[in-house]
Amino acid sequence: MRSWRTPVGVLLTAVMLFPVYWMVNVSLTPLSDMRKAPSLIPVHPTTEGYERVLREQVPYLGTSLLVALGTVVLTLALAAPAAYSLAKLRPAGRRALGFVLLVAQMIPGIIMALGFYGIYVKLGVTNTVWGLVLADSTIAVPFAVLILTSFMASVPDEVLQAARIDGAGPWRSFVSIVLPASRNGVVTAALFSFLWAWSDFLFAATLDSGGRLQPLTLGIYRYIGNNNQEWNSIMATAVVASVPATVLIVVAQRYVAAGVTSGAVKD
Amino acid sequence: MFSAPVPARLLAALGLVVSVAACSSTPATTATPDTFSVWDPYPQFTAESEWVKTIEKCGTEAGVKIQRQAYDTTDLTSKVLLAAQQRTAPQVLVVDNPVVSTLVEAGVLKANSDVGLDAGQVSPNLVAAGTVEGQTYGVPIGANTLALYYNKAVLAAAGVDPASVKDWDSLNAALAKVKAAGKKGITFSAIGTEEGTFQFLPWFWGAGGKLTDLPSGKAALELWKSWLDNGYAPNSVVNNTQTTSWQEFATGEYAFAENGTWQLGNAKKAGFEYGVIAIPARTGGTAPAPTGGEFVTVPAQDNKDTEAKAGRIGSCLTAPDKVLAADTALTYISAVPSVQQQQVSAQQDLAVWVEAVKNAKGRTGDNLGTKYPKISQPLWGAVQAALTGAKAPEAALRDAQAAVK
Amino acid sequence: MRARLAGWAFLVPLVAYLLVCYAYPLFTNVDLSIRGYTVRSFVHGGAPLVGFANYAVVFGDPTFRTALLNTVLFTLVSLFFQYTIGLAAALFFARGFRLSATLRALFLVPWLLPLIVSASTWAWLLNSESGLVNAALKVVGLGPVNWLTSPEWSLVSVTIANIWIGIPFNLVVLYSGLQNIPREVYEASSLDGASGWQTFWHVTFPLLRPVSAITLLLGLVYTLKVFDVIWIMTKGGPSGSSTTLATWSYELGFGNMLPRFGPSAAVGNVLILIAVIAGLLYIRVQRRQELA
Repeated sequence: MRSWRTPVGVLLTAVMLFPVYWMVNVSLTPLSDMRKAPSLIPVHPTTEGYERVLREQVPYLGTSLLVALGTVVLTLALAAPAAYSLAKLRPAGRRALGFVLLVAQMIPGIIMALGFYGIYVKLGVTNTVWGLVLADSTIAVPFAVLILTSFMASVPDEVLQAARIDGAGPWRSFVSIVLPASRNGVVTAALFSFLWAWSDFLFAATLDSGGRLQPLTLGIYRYIGNNNQEWNSIMATAVVASVPATVLIVVAQRYVAAGVTSGAVKD
Repeated sequence: MFSAPVPARLLAALGLVVSVAACSSTPATTATPDTFSVWDPYPQFTAESEWVKTIEKCGTEAGVKIQRQAYDTTDLTSKVLLAAQQRTAPQVLVVDNPVVSTLVEAGVLKANSDVGLDAGQVSPNLVAAGTVEGQTYGVPIGANTLALYYNKAVLAAAGVDPASVKDWDSLNAALAKVKAAGKKGITFSAIGTEEGTFQFLPWFWGAGGKLTDLPSGKAALELWKSWLDNGYAPNSVVNNTQTTSWQEFATGEYAFAENGTWQLGNAKKAGFEYGVIAIPARTGGTAPAPTGGEFVTVPAQDNKDTEAKAGRIGSCLTAPDKVLAADTALTYISAVPSVQQQQVSAQQDLAVWVEAVKNAKGRTGDNLGTKYPKISQPLWGAVQAALTGAKAPEAALRDAQAAVK
Repeated sequence: MRARLAGWAFLVPLVAYLLVCYAYPLFTNVDLSIRGYTVRSFVHGGAPLVGFANYAVVFGDPTFRTALLNTVLFTLVSLFFQYTIGLAAALFFARGFRLSATLRALFLVPWLLPLIVSASTWAWLLNSESGLVNAALKVVGLGPVNWLTSPEWSLVSVTIANIWIGIPFNLVVLYSGLQNIPREVYEASSLDGASGWQTFWHVTFPLLRPVSAITLLLGLVYTLKVFDVIWIMTKGGPSGSSTTLATWSYELGFGNMLPRFGPSAAVGNVLILIAVIAGLLYIRVQRRQELA
């Protein structure tokens, strides 16, 4: 029997993505129609915005990918061991640390950006990809630690005790038991650090606006003049920037979903 | 279960980092660098543009290499303050005119007399924004201002002769006719930012208002409010940027739009016949509109020689023969009267804009300087409060005056 | 003792990272709030210590009360809808069906867009003159609503946009939480003859509590500091009607040609304090759960 869920799911997704569709719509609309009575499809579509974007922005795609993937790696490398410790080794002072993580996230992004700017200028690392990766990771690391901790906490202690009796040290328990068992959490943390780094605008604008290797979102800047904004090009940039990432996420999700079901007992 | 030692250790380490960060201000290089950085608010200009080529040419003439960076104009102020704090301010800075007095107050900019810049050829009303206590800081690269664009077809259909719009009464009469003909009247920007105040000022000044006494301009706010009440202007103006407002005009459904010189390029692409008239003052004549446009300035460096060379680059960028190309690309009016004449003879329809620029007024002029931002913010708040009906126009302006500290 | 050492060994990179990346900005924010900075002393140093003067300015400003109230409303309403809609969607997607993985991935697309784009798109849809929402209202015979330009609606509008932005986050985190609940639990429950609703209420929801708590806590922190969405859509207006503490802080510091760093940082620290209180509450609840 076909599930009723598929058509409903398609409908829900369509509703959810409607504003995204509208963005595509605006990206195809010529200036003279932008504030006319709205129409669901662009009546006089123009590819002007896309022509500019494809001509001017495509080289930056690689930078965006590099920054986003770099952020994922750095975030997981820092967060996963820490989360394991907080959830399973439970050292003294872990609550205080959890607390610091929470407060850290409350520092306004712009203050973070200004702080990094000051430090980066002194170190001479403005306009570098790695500088941007480090800055972008600050959005994701506290989140990743907290979320991974709550996932790793649900790994039963008995399993770890059994492993310890078999002579496994904390590192082996981490790599071969806890990490695989909390795969869902790892995927979630990876996903969001990717998304945040990909769509970041503030750090890129503050720390990387003069470099040769700029992420794609910064291309939007070129269409925000001092008196005028070219909305079809801005929206086109966002569309062009989101297409490859969407494909990547859909493929990754399918792969992960397949991994999850194949690991489970099928009934 | 907070265990004391760890936070204590954390705090100690934190203190260490902080003290390191606080003490480690970089020793400044005293030698003149061989690469000068130039910052401007024109991200739309790519490396191949005429503007960037001009900068490079001026650098070569001064014997230095140029590294140019473009920032969004609203970001540029905080970027410059921060860079100056780190002693990495650019050698040459192109910055929006009302910001100049703030940067002077911050001690970021050098006076023209110290670096060999000369604004002598520029019209005095345009230099005013860069003049603080008798000293001038920077040279305007060009100027823009506001006027009323009109749609010829809409006015013709409503039986309005644009030449008949000479004061507020005749403008209101024209709007009434347009509305009766089933078209939309006028669009502008009353957003809660500097843009909103910028757009309000021609009416405010045109009503005889003074920025030091906000209620003196209440007639202007009553005029705007009446446009919304009578349906002459759409409600969206409350949240319109100048770009949004232009998009509304570009639909071809509006008779008038208050907008700037920079839209001329878009106006030609709009696909309908348009004209431009000056914004009328309440009882006739042209209302003073605020000047827009950037100043080329020289931020303070650690070394006189660097500043002098930066001054030479600045003079080069604003030299009449070079500045014309930049002004053409930006669709600005030149700040130098002789160049203005060249612009008009090359392009007749700029005449009305040259006239508007001559009548224009700096926002930070009248010796307001850094007092202007403190007035401007309550003013746009008052405009919003009145237009949304939260307060009566006069009360809104009185409250705004009280909020000016 | 050895386990303790190991515990800290795993934490060292993180602690070092926190010190390097957050200490200086946090210090800056506190320092800015207790000194009388002018633009001149911001650049050249020498701002005098003024203690709590900036805080006094902020608390004495009539905007403070509006902003605080708006922050509370904006945050609570956003959280409630983000969480319930996210949870409903997660439960819906938890039963794998054809295309479910792809559709779930597509839910994340809004997060790929820089906020300047997604918030502008919402402003576009809600524009009182030419927006699609008002056009749709007209079709069904209703009058236009001034979504962004009337003091009554502006906060509602920005909250709606923010809920939309927050749903994918809640969906993904809660979905992964659901996946972590062992299947046997459900099977045992259905053997007992429990209905779908009973299973959810007595089995799924309690087991999901740790993930729910962290989702809500993170949601709270993120919502408290949201400023871009509001700033892009309404600038906190018209006349302050959608100003929250976060947008006010930004407005004081960067919304004007003459930055007021002190009061701006003070408002930012008030926000941090609110988050600290929420964090303390969370820890208390967590401890009680661990004891139970």
